[in-house]
Amino acid sequence: MKVADYLNQCEEIISPGISACVGCNVELTLRTIMRVLGKNTIFAVPPGCMGGVGVVGWNKQSGAKAPVFFPLLDNTASMLSGIKAHYLREGREVNVVAFAGDGATVDAGFQCLSGAAERGDNIIYICYDNEGYMNTGYQRSGSTSKGSWTSTTPVSTTGKGGKKQHKKNFPMLMAMHDIPYVATISPAYIDDMVKKVQHAMTVKDGLAYLHILNPCLTGWGVDPKRSIEVSRLSVQTRYFPLFEVINGEYRLNREIKKPKPLEEFLKLNKKFSHLNEEEIADLQANVDRNWGRLVALCS
Amino acid sequence: MSMVDVLNGNQAAAKGAALSRPDVVAAYPITPQTPLVEYLTQFVANGELEAFMSEVESEHSAMSVVTGASLAGSRTFTATSSQGLALMYEPYFRASTLRLPVVMAIVNREMISPQTVWGGPQDSMTLRDAGWIQIYVEDNQEILDMIIQAYKIGEDSRVLLPVNICYDGFYLSHLTERVEIPDQNSVDKFLPDYTPTHIKLDPKIPMAVDPLTTGDLLMEYREKHMVAQQNALKVIQEVNEDFNKVFGRNHHGLLEKYRCDDADVILISLGSMTGAAREAVDYHREKGLAVGLLKIRSLRPFPQEEVSEVLAGRQAIGVVDRNVSFGWNTGILYQEIRSALYEKEKPVPILPFIGGLGGEDLRIEAFISCIDRLKEARGTQQKNYPRTCWLNKKGG
Amino acid sequence: MSEKEYIVPIGEGVYEINTGDWRTHRPVLDQDKCIKCGICLTYCPVFSIYKEGEEYRIDLSYCKGCGVCMHECPKDAIRMIEEGR
Repeated sequence: MKVADYLNQCEEIISPGISACVGCNVELTLRTIMRVLGKNTIFAVPPGCMGGVGVVGWNKQSGAKAPVFFPLLDNTASMLSGIKAHYLREGREVNVVAFAGDGATVDAGFQCLSGAAERGDNIIYICYDNEGYMNTGYQRSGSTSKGSWTSTTPVSTTGKGGKKQHKKNFPMLMAMHDIPYVATISPAYIDDMVKKVQHAMTVKDGLAYLHILNPCLTGWGVDPKRSIEVSRLSVQTRYFPLFEVINGEYRLNREIKKPKPLEEFLKLNKKFSHLNEEEIADLQANVDRNWGRLVALCS
Repeated sequence: MSMVDVLNGNQAAAKGAALSRPDVVAAYPITPQTPLVEYLTQFVANGELEAFMSEVESEHSAMSVVTGASLAGSRTFTATSSQGLALMYEPYFRASTLRLPVVMAIVNREMISPQTVWGGPQDSMTLRDAGWIQIYVEDNQEILDMIIQAYKIGEDSRVLLPVNICYDGFYLSHLTERVEIPDQNSVDKFLPDYTPTHIKLDPKIPMAVDPLTTGDLLMEYREKHMVAQQNALKVIQEVNEDFNKVFGRNHHGLLEKYRCDDADVILISLGSMTGAAREAVDYHREKGLAVGLLKIRSLRPFPQEEVSEVLAGRQAIGVVDRNVSFGWNTGILYQEIRSALYEKEKPVPILPFIGGLGGEDLRIEAFISCIDRLKEARGTQQKNYPRTCWLNKKGG
Repeated sequence: MSEKEYIVPIGEGVYEINTGDWRTHRPVLDQDKCIKCGICLTYCPVFSIYKEGEEYRIDLSYCKGCGVCMHECPKDAIRMIEEGR
């Protein structure tokens, strides 16, 4: 079945009207994932964009048809571990899922995510990586790429600035926990996204981790209609490789034999507009290094 | 049939928790609580406790796991002390504002700095405004019994709040006493299953937990929470009576009076120090002073009416605090007692004492000297705010 | 808006924001040019594009006018026209 036909007949779980930015690909990702997961799901949305746009609701109303809640910024994985423990004891199969931003995952919530992974708690942890704390005004996080303009790593009037450090290779960090399933996902590759969510749902013996690169249209400065184009380029330039680790076996999902030059991706994002040649070369070198390491693990 | 054993406080707590049949338990070690979680994991390994045990990676996660499980509908248990309690403050506050009847044993330990591991209730008393019910116990039998009672109090539909059973680190946690252990069947009859109707994360009854809430609605929730704490005043006493009927042990509910009826002066204590304080009261009684002892058990909810009733018409009152209230230059319990007596018609000298911090012993001699001061203070008028008397080794 | 009394912060029912009010341009699909590839449906962030029978349609109730459908369509079958015209 074509993915469009499949998604068309799934039930929409999220409220049709949430105040995400025009064209937001995190909204696209959340809706798609929840259509695949279905109503037998309890999901946690920590403070961040998706909470802020109304997915957990306002006052006495929810923002979704499935049970949803706000964990704290730094305890998403732990709260979900507790919820899953209850349903394991009851003998009921329920999807227990996190939909968390990179701030809540890579920074504040890393401790408990790492703990849950090590303990083998059976939850699906999905991180939407828009490279920063976007909901509070685009501050940098551990997942922000080097050189990015953010509100806490701004650029001077003479064009110097941006984040000084490379982003954490977080999918690789989670893969090193030797959990049953790790996968990277891009909103430009929806077939791939659906397959990976479906695989995550079959994992019963530990934590399944999905990491999505979501170019933030407002925070990175992207023309809204090019939301998917920019996401596609992130993969086609090898900036964000699409790969899976299934029970320790690394597999590239898109080989990208002839990568597009990184500049094609960078130039569509205002947050990179101040970079000089040297800085771009540094980013390219980092992309190559990460790609080399990944390919070595895949062989 | 109940059995009698010799248990230390941590064993008593672990036994009380196991008998209450929690579904999910989170374990993270911290001195002086560590043996408690070890006993619990041993019970699980032996099959004596049939629960999901999560050996978490920090106290913050301990409270988070337990909160999550409780949201899904499980009965839960965890335990901690000082630094661990401070670390879990973020999800701790939330357990009460989400009205989850979690039970947590706090093995009271002094807060760092300076570096310390020894006993003192500063840790839990500092968090008295986080919305939990807090009951402070005097001996190991009380620890075991109160953990069972805590579930009955917290899960009562008029309350629906988490409960702390607090006991002094080392003084109770590591010292052994004779403890009667009720049998599982009797506890099962006393404690029905926990089935939440007010909040549940379950795909069968979908709801959002904690939608973004505006101030007007938030205030409604806070008000209801405060009413629940007031309801707990009655429920704590009811559960005490029910427990007494079934198991034959009376722990006196909100507070305990010792030789107060005809007392001119009253000394107020909390926790295991009460044992030494009682001796001091007997000592002074023999010398002819009409002195009594009031032990506060429930710090939250604070039994304001009961306290002002007991203390009415006395000539001097003293409060011994094993903690400090920075900014007031007195202990915490002192402030609570003073506040409870505001409505009295004529001001009576109320004296603050602080001692026994960081695991320092509070000896009988210290209490004797406190009562000496109360004796002197009778009939005097307090023109200024009283100065705290520090009870140190030199006699205080 | 639910008028039920809760003792604890929970929400029931689904809260909707009228995001259709936001847009300055709306998408129009030319059925003759459409090759029924389904790309627009998969990439619409609010899932405003749906399939009925064999035809793809756009429900404008919540469409924010982002233009992704127009940009991704391989046959230029969708154009964005200004609202109010």
